Amino acid sequence: MKNPSEEKKYMLDISQKEIEELRTTIRATSKKMTAEYIERMRKADKNRPEAMRYFDEIADFEKREKELLAAKESGKKVIGYMCLFAPIELILAADAIPVRVNSGWYDASKLGDRVVPVEVCPMVRSTIGAKMIGLSPYLELSDALISGLTCDGMTKLSEILSDYKPVWAMAVPRLKDSTQSLSFWREEMKTLMKQIEALTGNKITRSKLKSAIELTQRATKAFRRLQEIRKGNPVIMGRDAMLVNQAYMWDDIKRWTEKTEALCEALEERARQKSWACSPDTPRVMVTGTPMIWPDNWKVPSIIEEANPQGLLVADELCSSERLLYDPVGVDEWTMDDMLNAIAERYLMASTCPCFTSEDGNKDRVNWILNKVKEWKVNGVIYYVVRGCMLYAMEYMRVKKVLDRMSVPVYYLDTEYTREDVGPLKTRVEAFLEMLTARVDI
Amino acid sequence: MIMDFIGELLKLTVLAGLTVAGILVILIWKKNLATRVTYLRFLIQVAAMVSVFYLFTYPVWQFIVLIVILLLPLVLGRFFCGWLCPFGLYMDAITLIRKGFKVRYRNLPDKLNKFLHKFRYVLLLFFLVVPFILNVIDPPPAESLTLMALVLAGPFDAWRILLGPVIPLIVPWKGPLEISKIYFSYPYVQEVIYYSKLLSIEVFTTIMAWVFVALTIVGSFFLRRVWCRFCPTGSSIAIVNRFRGFKWAPLLHIYKDEVKCTKCGICKRVCPVQVTDVYEQAGGKITTSMCMLCMRCVEMCPYEDCLKVNFGGKTVFKSRNWLEPAKVE
Ligand code: SF4
Ligand code: SF4
Ligand code: SF4
Repeated sequence: MKNPSEEKKYMLDISQKEIEELRTTIRATSKKMTAEYIERMRKADKNRPEAMRYFDEIADFEKREKELLAAKESGKKVIGYMCLFAPIELILAADAIPVRVNSGWYDASKLGDRVVPVEVCPMVRSTIGAKMIGLSPYLELSDALISGLTCDGMTKLSEILSDYKPVWAMAVPRLKDSTQSLSFWREEMKTLMKQIEALTGNKITRSKLKSAIELTQRATKAFRRLQEIRKGNPVIMGRDAMLVNQAYMWDDIKRWTEKTEALCEALEERARQKSWACSPDTPRVMVTGTPMIWPDNWKVPSIIEEANPQGLLVADELCSSERLLYDPVGVDEWTMDDMLNAIAERYLMASTCPCFTSEDGNKDRVNWILNKVKEWKVNGVIYYVVRGCMLYAMEYMRVKKVLDRMSVPVYYLDTEYTREDVGPLKTRVEAFLEMLTARVDI
Repeated sequence: MIMDFIGELLKLTVLAGLTVAGILVILIWKKNLATRVTYLRFLIQVAAMVSVFYLFTYPVWQFIVLIVILLLPLVLGRFFCGWLCPFGLYMDAITLIRKGFKVRYRNLPDKLNKFLHKFRYVLLLFFLVVPFILNVIDPPPAESLTLMALVLAGPFDAWRILLGPVIPLIVPWKGPLEISKIYFSYPYVQEVIYYSKLLSIEVFTTIMAWVFVALTIVGSFFLRRVWCRFCPTGSSIAIVNRFRGFKWAPLLHIYKDEVKCTKCGICKRVCPVQVTDVYEQAGGKITTSMCMLCMRCVEMCPYEDCLKVNFGGKTVFKSRNWLEPAKVE
C-alpha cells in the first residue's frame, strides 16, 4: 500500500487558521440545520413512531464519530466509500467498518470551487471542500477510500482525494451485460479484496465472508420490509424513511438492522390501527436522479412533504436511499468462489447507475422506475438533478418518454447545492403537486 | 401375469402414498417456501427412480416409459429432466457431495454449451439411424434379442439407448455387474457395452464401460449436470419451444415480469445447465429448449413475483423475496 505522496497533486494550501474558522462556522450552521430538519420531520407527523428517535439521534454525525474513534482505538480500520459499487461485504468480512463519505454540505461546495470549476457536480465539489477543511468525520476517519469510477466527477474526485488518503479505484465497465465486463469486474473485486486484507491485516476467510453476507442480507430484509410498508397507506413520511435508509451509510449495520426491524414492527402496528401519517389521498410522489445526501441536501424531500398541497414520498430511485440495499447478494453455494461471484454480480449487474448503457440504453433503470410506479402506486415522478450532473440530466428524456406513455406526470427539478433557491423550488413543486392533486381527485 | 401386474400396481400405489407423505412432511417442516423446491425435487427424483425400478421389471413398461419421455416435452417441456430423470438425480447427488466439500464448480463457456445443446440433435439422429445400418450390415442372432425386443424387435431394439439415463443403479434384469445376486448397472453402460462390442474386444468393452462411469462421475463433480448437456434423451421438442405457432403448446413454462427483473444475474448463475435465456429474454414466456424446469432460478430470484412457473395459465410457483421476514427461520 503506497502512502499518499507529500506533494499535493490538486489540493491547495490553506492556512490552518482559515481551516479552523471555516470548519467551525460550517459545522455550526449544519448542526443547526440538521436539528431544524429533524424538528420539522417530527412535527410533520403527529404520531411519529417512537422507534424513529434512534434515527434522529444517529443522524447527528457526532454520535457515530465517537463510536468510530473508539473502534479505531481498538485497532479497527474504517474504510470509506463514495459509490455503491464498493462491496460492503468484503469490508465487513475484514473486520473493518464501512462508511459512505459523499458530502451533502452546501457550504462546502463553495470551497470546492477553488479546486475544480463551478460546472462540476456540486456533490463532488462539496466532498472536495469537506476534505479541505476536515468537515466530514467519516471522510477524516477513513483509513482508505474505495471509489467506483462511474461518472467523470467521481473519477476525478478519487484522484483529488488521493492527495490525502490511499484511494482504491475500481474501474466500472460501462457495458454491464457482457461476459467480458463481468469477468473484468470480478478481477477488480479480487484486487480490492487483497487491498482490504493488506490494510486491515485480516484475512477474508470463507466463514467470515459468509457471515458478512448474511449480515447484509438481514439488513436488506429489514430494508425491503420498510419499503414494502410504504406501498400501503402512509404510516411513515417519506423523509423519515429516507433518513432511515441513509443512516445505513454510516451506522453500524447490525444495530441499524435491529432498529429498522423495530421501526417496521411499530409501523405495521400503526397500519393496523389505521393511524395514517398524512391523508391517504395525498399524491404519492417518487424522486429519481442525483443522490441527496444528509445532512444538508435535504431541501427537496422537505419541500415536497411540506408543500401546500402536500406530497408524500413513497419511493425513490436514488443511490443515497433505496438503491443502497434493494438487491441482496444471492449465493448459490457457499464456496469462496461463488460468494465472490455473487458479490460481484450484485454490485455490477443489479445496479441502475446512469453510467451504464447497453444495446437498449439503461433499460434496467427504466424498469426499476416502472416497477416502483406500478407497485407503489406513484402519482407523479420528480426527476431531481443538480447542475453538473450530466448522466442523470441526459437520461431524463428516456425516462420521460416511458412515463409519458404510461401517462404518469414527471417533473424535471434542477437545482444546486444552495439554500437560496428554496423559495422558487417550492413554487415549482407546489405547481406540480397541484396538478397531481387534481388528477388524484378525478 | 395379471396377478403380478396387480401386485406391481399395488407396490406403486404404496410408493405414491409414501411420496405424497414425504411431500407433506417437507411442506410442514420447511415453512419457508424458498428452499422447499430443492427438497421437494430431491424427493420426487428418488421416488421416480424407485418407480422406474419397479416398472422395468416388465419389458412392456420400458416401452411405455420411453414413449412418455418422448411425448412429455410436448406438454411439459423438459419437466422430466428436472424432476424425474434418475441420471439427473445421481448428478445432483454428486453436486451435493461437492457442496459438502466446499469445492467450486466450473462452467462451460456459454458458446460451447449452446453448441452442445444443438449438437445433441445430431447425436439423437445418429443413434436413431445407426442401428438400421448395423442391422443391414450385421443382422443380430435371434437369441441376442433382449426383453424389450418383445415389443420392438430388430434394429428398434437399439433405440433403447434413449432409456439410457433412466436406468436405475440396481436393475431387475441381468445387468452388467453382479455382486451377490444383485445386478448393478449405470446409465448408458449397456449401450456403451453394446457399441464397444461391435469392435469385438472383450477387455476393451469393460474398460469403456468403466471409463464412461468414471468420466460422468468426475465430470458431474465439476460441472453441474454434465451429461444433460449431451444427452439425446433430454432433447426437448424444439419446435414447441422455438416456433411462434407452437408457443402455446408446453403447458408448463417459466414466465418473467420484465419490469420486476433487475437483471441481477442470479438466475443465470444458479442454473445447473447454464441456461441464459431466463436472464436475457425481455419478459413474458421464456422460450428455450435448454431449460429443464428444475425451478432453481425461480427459487433464487430475490424479487417477489418476478419469475413464475405457470401450468396451463395457472401460477404454480413463483419467485419471492426470500429475504422477507420468515415466520420460521
Ligand atoms: S438431459 Fe438426459 S440425463 Fe439429463 S435429466 Fe434429461 S434425460 Fe436425464
Ligand atoms: S434472478 Fe430474477 S431479477 Fe435477477 S436477472 Fe434473473 S429474473 Fe431478473
Ligand atoms: S433456467 Fe431455471 S428452471 Fe430452467 S434449468 Fe435453469 S435453473 Fe432450472
